[in-house]
Amino acid sequence: MKLELQKGSRSKVLAAIVIVTMAIFVIRLFYLQIIQHDYYVKEANKEQIKQRTIPAKRGMIYALDGQDAVPLVMNQMVYTVFADPQTTKDDTKIIDIIKRVAGGNARADLQGLLSRKDSRYQILATKITRVQADKIKSENLKGIGFHEESQRVYPEGSLAAQTLGFVDYEGVGRYGVEGRLNDRLTGTDGLLQSVTDVSDVPLTIGNNNINKPAVDGDNIVLSIDRNIQSHTEQALADGLKRTGATRGSVIVMNPQNGQIMAMANLPTFDPAKFNEVKDAAAFNNGVVSAPYEPGSDVKTLTMATGIEKGVVSADATYNNTDHIQVDDKVISNATLGHTGIITFQYALNWSLNTGFVTVAERLGDGNNITRTARDTMYDYFYNRFRLGQLTGVEVSGEAEGTIIPPTDVDGNAVRYSNMSFGQGLDVTMVQVSSAFSSLVNGGKYYKPTVVAGKLDTSGKFVADKIATPSNPISDSTASQMREMTHTARSTFYTSVDKAGYYTGGKTGTSQVIKNGEYSEDETVGTYLGYGGSIDLSRYVIMVQVSGDHKALQGARDALPIFTDISNWMLDYLKIQPKG
Amino acid sequence: MSYQRTQNFSSRRQQNWSRNQNTVAYVSAIKLGPVTHTVLVALMITVLGLIYLTQATRATSYDYATQKIDSQIAELNTQKSDLEIENARLTALETVKNSTVATTMTVPTTTNYAQ
Repeated sequence: MKLELQKGSRSKVLAAIVIVTMAIFVIRLFYLQIIQHDYYVKEANKEQIKQRTIPAKRGMIYALDGQDAVPLVMNQMVYTVFADPQTTKDDTKIIDIIKRVAGGNARADLQGLLSRKDSRYQILATKITRVQADKIKSENLKGIGFHEESQRVYPEGSLAAQTLGFVDYEGVGRYGVEGRLNDRLTGTDGLLQSVTDVSDVPLTIGNNNINKPAVDGDNIVLSIDRNIQSHTEQALADGLKRTGATRGSVIVMNPQNGQIMAMANLPTFDPAKFNEVKDAAAFNNGVVSAPYEPGSDVKTLTMATGIEKGVVSADATYNNTDHIQVDDKVISNATLGHTGIITFQYALNWSLNTGFVTVAERLGDGNNITRTARDTMYDYFYNRFRLGQLTGVEVSGEAEGTIIPPTDVDGNAVRYSNMSFGQGLDVTMVQVSSAFSSLVNGGKYYKPTVVAGKLDTSGKFVADKIATPSNPISDSTASQMREMTHTARSTFYTSVDKAGYYTGGKTGTSQVIKNGEYSEDETVGTYLGYGGSIDLSRYVIMVQVSGDHKALQGARDALPIFTDISNWMLDYLKIQPKG
Repeated sequence: MSYQRTQNFSSRRQQNWSRNQNTVAYVSAIKLGPVTHTVLVALMITVLGLIYLTQATRATSYDYATQKIDSQIAELNTQKSDLEIENARLTALETVKNSTVATTMTVPTTTNYAQ
């Protein structure tokens, strides 16, 4: 017997319904899986695939301790403790634990913060350590959470603060090396993209996984020696206390390679508490960012120019009348009475302005600071000694300063007569000390640098290559200048130096321009010198002290600071005395 | 007039190949019906699915193990950093200057140099 569905039977209707339903399913699935394929894959990926930035570690900053690298700036993970007042239970217990564990890092009014039940987020403590965070976590307090962040820590406190700078709340380096070498220190973040489970654990399944590791920032080793830096800061602080100056800066350089061994500035600040600094001027590194008229220190450069051009020598003479006429201006010596025929060595010893105006005149026709003389001075000051231009030292905020060229309407004979004894030009201490280094190292100009190298991935110190120096003056001129500055120092200050060593230098006392005119009651005291053995200069030190309405002098106020550092350096560098 | 081949030609080579070979194909007496085929296919798919699931689960378990090790590495690195910071603080100049040893040190009265 053959069974057949009868036309219009219920079975036929059921079959039709099933077929139609199946057809709807198929069409719907076709629509979802084929036509809408891309859309749903995208939606699924949004849910399943997570992208996570792998933060690069900011490079650490090291100083030298002799030949070893020691950390000045490090990274530490710190935690912020927060509460959701709507979900916290037993507020008394929470307050007790937070106060006990976080101590001074806990907020003052914890009870008040936790009682704000309309809020979902209240910070209870900041910058607690991992150990403290673990202790709080172990209490399993309901409604308490933690944020983790990296912060800079300074094991040496405020040592070399202006050279280091700091990192702001956005993680960007500001001032100092942090600001200037921010890109090198920052590194490059990595990326992790993968399918994750409900706990956000990355899984290897999936086709679009990306694992790009982070490239950490460079661990930079500065040429700053922490012992020299520490002693320099102490000597400067003592000097300011002794003299009554309110501001001071010191730079200590190695004249044999241009590396800066110390840069100290007062007032200073604690980079770990940069947000508490009231006056942002404390962030500036005066050695590189405060151009000023250096005064008589520059006489050494004028003398070197004259010797190099063959127009003067230490023993050459001129007739000192204490005053000298340049166009419509009369230039006088600060120290009067040494009139008559004197040598240029004598003029340097007594820092007589007329002697160096005479050098400038002899660079011209002998009686006037002609255009040729000015061109020569500009060539030496600007092109060879690189005054008035950026040195490229790796510290943020370096200022150029100003050297007026002879082509400028202000670059006249009066201007250049002033420049010959260190006025009428704006330069930074790092420019002057770099130029002076070439006078005591055989005539080589090294680009000043504060970076000695970096640590490689195994933590080994890899020194940077020393840049090839230029030769602004000859070895012969440099030798004569080294001898002249030694004589200038030893004429008056022999007793203050340790016996058996070879030191030299030049004082500088310069007027300050206030409201466009030279101030009557304020001067800046400077001392610029070197030290070492008779064969080799091992360091150049430049000291500057100043203060509002304070008449500070190079010999009286800056020189003792130089002497303090210099005598200590002779021991620290283990230089053997001779004679 | 047409010619017809009177016998099939086979080469000596072909004859050699054919020699000693069976001329009867054996066919199994067991017959599998459509239901059996379906079941077998389903079984095969199931086995393959299980193999896939096993591998995927194993891979995922490795992921969890890796994650655990990564967490341990991160934890140890954090501890190492904390110890390095502590070490740096303990060997900082200020700490050394204020140490008991440093405070009892004296300045030498004379210094001799080896020539």
